[in-house]
Amino acid sequence: MRVSIMDYGVGNLYSIAKGLERSGGEIEIVTDPRALARSEAIVFPGVGAFGAAMDVLRPVREELRRAIAEGVPTLGICLGMQILFESSEESPGTGLGVFGGRVTKLLSGRVPQMGWNDVKSSDDPLFDGIPQGSKFYYANSYICQPTEKVAVAETEYGQRFAAAVRKNTLCGVQFHPEKSGPPGLKLLKNFVALAEGNQ
Amino acid sequence: MPLTKRIIPCLDVREGVVVKGVCFKDLRKVGDPPTLAVEYQDQGADEIVFLDVKATVAGQRTLHEAVRKTAETLFIPLTVGGGIRSFKDVRDTLKAGADKTSINTAAVQNPGLITECADAFGSQCVVLALDAKRKGDSWEVYSHSGTTPAGLDAVDWAKDACDRGAGEILLTSIDADGTKAGYDVELTRSVVRAVNVPVIASGGCGTIDHIVEVLTKGEADAALAASIFHYGEHTVADVKKILESKGVLIRKDVGM
Repeated sequence: MRVSIMDYGVGNLYSIAKGLERSGGEIEIVTDPRALARSEAIVFPGVGAFGAAMDVLRPVREELRRAIAEGVPTLGICLGMQILFESSEESPGTGLGVFGGRVTKLLSGRVPQMGWNDVKSSDDPLFDGIPQGSKFYYANSYICQPTEKVAVAETEYGQRFAAAVRKNTLCGVQFHPEKSGPPGLKLLKNFVALAEGNQ
Repeated sequence: MPLTKRIIPCLDVREGVVVKGVCFKDLRKVGDPPTLAVEYQDQGADEIVFLDVKATVAGQRTLHEAVRKTAETLFIPLTVGGGIRSFKDVRDTLKAGADKTSINTAAVQNPGLITECADAFGSQCVVLALDAKRKGDSWEVYSHSGTTPAGLDAVDWAKDACDRGAGEILLTSIDADGTKAGYDVELTRSVVRAVNVPVIASGGCGTIDHIVEVLTKGEADAALAASIFHYGEHTVADVKKILESKGVLIRKDVGM
């Protein structure tokens, strides 16, 4: 399975690339978003800001929406999850809008939420083989508020929010699996398995 | 759930090798950065910090090579600091494989750099490294590896930097650094209570009890330590076991 990681031009892509490689994915770093629509699977990494990432993706927004609707497996991580929603309080403009709902600022005391938190997962293929009580690493100031029943895991940080969302092979996680040790690597592996099952 | 308290081994790096400074002087070689980082990851470290203590331009290239190599096998966050002078340095360090960069002198000289980097990369990538030394009833900020007083009050500067977009504070007590006599608990608590971002306490760790103290009485979100780990006195797992026995919330292996 060839997994294309979108490079918005900022941030560390090494860990996510290496994590997916360990999960059996063949990695391609994509700097031209037009190439994404032809991908076997897409990963939107979790670095940068909502507006800046969407500036890169906006020219191909319709092609990406179509590819995702046609079932190209997609994983959004942190900011990469947020851009799958309709809009964000972080920046003006639309997201990809493949999930209904908007992204809002965390209301709790210490923001960004920076560190390891509990993730309560439902019985979902993304969390297959990951014990309850596993902690995942977060570094976020914003959270997604889905309008559909797509949350497959929840975390509490002053308020409860969607830790992971999934609709068939379209997935988003608010934490950083590539920075969450063994449970995180397992989640990446589960995504690749889910994507391969779809082929 | 509240976040777990983090244990962060710090690797002082000079020209690609790990050293540990005593009061920022007398450097002694203790190992290879990627190897040590993965060793600590396996012990249960929650994060790793690389600090470039020489920070020359040539040294930065060597450091980036070490960061790149480390990022290939490290699956916990990596913060890199020391000698980061500009927006370009931040970008290059993140691109090399760091998840966050810590900035001290450059932020003191040009506070706008904090905002510029936070807007481009997100606040979570911008760590303010704050080196402070007691002066009467308060603490003064120092730049240039603890050699130059910046004329700023530590608590005021911490608040100002957060308003400008810093996402975390790496707080080092210059008085305590290298003494192994314990963290500056009072300084730590003063900064923690003044800001809304996580605070990592640093400087002075000599025993596990010091870590317990700064995470409880000092109210720090994370404790950074170097020598107690580097010389094999204690593993990160030892520290977490004791923290857990004292009722401190930590991340532990749940059997994967």
